Amino acid sequence: MRKLIGLLAVLTLLVGACGSSGDLVVEDAWARTSASMQEAGAVYMTINGGDEADRLIDVSVSSDVAMVAELHETAMAEGGDGMMSMQPVTAIDIPADGAAMLEPGGFHVMLMKLAEPLTSGSTVELTLTFENAGTVEVSAEVRED
Amino acid sequence: MRRLALRLVAGLFAVALALGACGGSSLDSLTGILRDPAPDVGGVALADASNADAPFTLKAAPDELLVVYFGYTACPDVCPTTLADLRSAVRRLEDDASRVDVAIITVDPDRDDGERLTSYIQSFFPGGHALRSDDADELQAAADAFGAAYEVVQTDEGVEVGHTAYLYGVDESGLIRVQWSFGVTPDDLEHDLAYLLREGI
Repeated sequence: MRKLIGLLAVLTLLVGACGSSGDLVVEDAWARTSASMQEAGAVYMTINGGDEADRLIDVSVSSDVAMVAELHETAMAEGGDGMMSMQPVTAIDIPADGAAMLEPGGFHVMLMKLAEPLTSGSTVELTLTFENAGTVEVSAEVRED
Repeated sequence: MRRLALRLVAGLFAVALALGACGGSSLDSLTGILRDPAPDVGGVALADASNADAPFTLKAAPDELLVVYFGYTACPDVCPTTLADLRSAVRRLEDDASRVDVAIITVDPDRDDGERLTSYIQSFFPGGHALRSDDADELQAAADAFGAAYEVVQTDEGVEVGHTAYLYGVDESGLIRVQWSFGVTPDDLEHDLAYLLREGI
């Protein structure tokens, strides 16, 4: 009987471990404090892929924070003059067992028409929508850098 | 056994040498981009909205450095990143922080009025200068002097802005002594600012 309980405990642990390692996980979500008169902000994070590749396809934010949130990418323009510009993207690929980095100068969540300045110590709540994983709620810490 | 000890000592010696060289070289040169010849921007002057639109000449005060950035306030990613990293670097200079002056030149003067631009730059740097021009030719000439480029395009979805995202370190004679690309770390910025302030400007 004891042995059986032991076996069950081990199996339960295994199943638990399997579930958690296979899911997509969002880490280190943060937004920079906005400067005075800055109308738009950006949120950065690391998205660790699960067992299967996925795609981040949408993002939304409460209107208390910003009018709209979009997925954007900053990129250096072709032509070699070093000009940087920003474009909306339809999706961000999350590789299986890999990570997608949303970071300054690359992919980011753009917050357009901020309702209030982003102040240090507050948080921004986002809802991310993935093709396979569905919706994931993310709380981004606001800090200076 | 004795051989091993000798090898160990030799190895330690090599590592010590390498460390010494590393420390030395990082103090003896700038990490940013050096342009040859150094462009002279001291002939450029733009209205400074933070000072009642008085003309501001693009050169540093004596024994100081002027750091210049071409940007715009509706910029969510690139501009705040660079200006926040510059702020970190300047803060670390402690006593010498007051010898670094900062000016932003807006590439989007239609949306960035003087009040907005002043408020924006001064939330990063309390004494920051807010330079702008409504004369497209004057702004273009200023950008040309630095080798900066920008593009503001009105689309169906709004305004799209492209711009070169360098920081320029200008000395008291108006020469660009160094420039830094987007993504430069606060460490490298701090190092270069300290180097220029120490080695004489």
